[in-house]
Amino acid sequence: MIDFDYGIMLFLLMLATFATRSFFFVLGDSVKIPPWLQHALRYAPATALAAILVPDLLLSGGTFVLPWTNIRLIAAIGATLFFLKTRHLLGTIVVGMVCFTALRLILN
Amino acid sequence: MNLSTAEQTAREKTVFRDALRLSSPTIPGLIAWGIVTGMAMIQSGLTLWQGLLMTFIVYAGSAQLAALPLLAAGAPVSMIFFTAIMINLRFIIFSAVIGPHFSSLRWYRRLFYGYFNADIVVALFPQRFPSPSLGRPGEKLSFYVGLATSNWSSWQVGSVIGMLLASQIPPSWGIGFAGSLALLSITVPLIVNWAAVVGMAVAGTTAVLAIDLPFRLGLLLAIVLGIASAMAVDQWVEGKAQ
Repeated sequence: MIDFDYGIMLFLLMLATFATRSFFFVLGDSVKIPPWLQHALRYAPATALAAILVPDLLLSGGTFVLPWTNIRLIAAIGATLFFLKTRHLLGTIVVGMVCFTALRLILN
Repeated sequence: MNLSTAEQTAREKTVFRDALRLSSPTIPGLIAWGIVTGMAMIQSGLTLWQGLLMTFIVYAGSAQLAALPLLAAGAPVSMIFFTAIMINLRFIIFSAVIGPHFSSLRWYRRLFYGYFNADIVVALFPQRFPSPSLGRPGEKLSFYVGLATSNWSSWQVGSVIGMLLASQIPPSWGIGFAGSLALLSITVPLIVNWAAVVGMAVAGTTAVLAIDLPFRLGLLLAIVLGIASAMAVDQWVEGKAQ
């Protein structure tokens, strides 16, 4: 079922897509962003993703999990090493899931 | 050199096929990434219809993945919108790369075409048309539409497959974790210098420490402090170089 709140959220997310992807398509050559802002924008995606990923990997249900008992974190480190070596997206997901599943089955 | 309309049309068709050929190696990766995102949408509690609407309306994988935990945690819609904008900010930079090629089109067509300017499109388009001042407008548009079609359709095929598969898979398998892994593999390439390392470390630490702030304000705080730290490192490096 699609309720009103969900519809509003989808509309806003669509706006977020248009507002960013079409930004300089619509403005054309008429506007130049100031250099300092252009510079700061370069780091926005990286910091936003880090701010989502780090709590996602370190916490479970809002509380801190000791790193050596945190199988998601251990699997993520394994996947990161694989990615750094191969730059392969699909392989990284497979390796991470295999590590995660193996640890889950061993420790349960 | 003027070409007849027939010649022009033939060239545009060739260019469109060239674009499909150039983007074909990226298709399996996009389908996989779509599958993961489709699964993550269902695993986070969306119904099939909610998920289908999201993928066809929003068309922004990392913003969708980031919105899901916020949605599940009951964050206010303004926070979800802000997060999506932050995560999509790279697209503004992408739009500055491709947008000038199409500045002669009417505004609503520019708005429409901009919507399809995804990561792979912006990576491949300049290989054929490096400068906005070169190339015939019709051929550039055909090439762009070719890349965009390939990118959009493989992504949507993957997303729909992922959503249909997700209901067949028990939650204990932790398929949602694949979404985190996909997010991880688009985050790692963004570590381009020490400023990014520091910015991401500050953002990550802040996000963990401020997790209990209301309305997920910790996320906003983390992004602002992260960007400021990255900028500070850049200033410091520049100061040392001079």
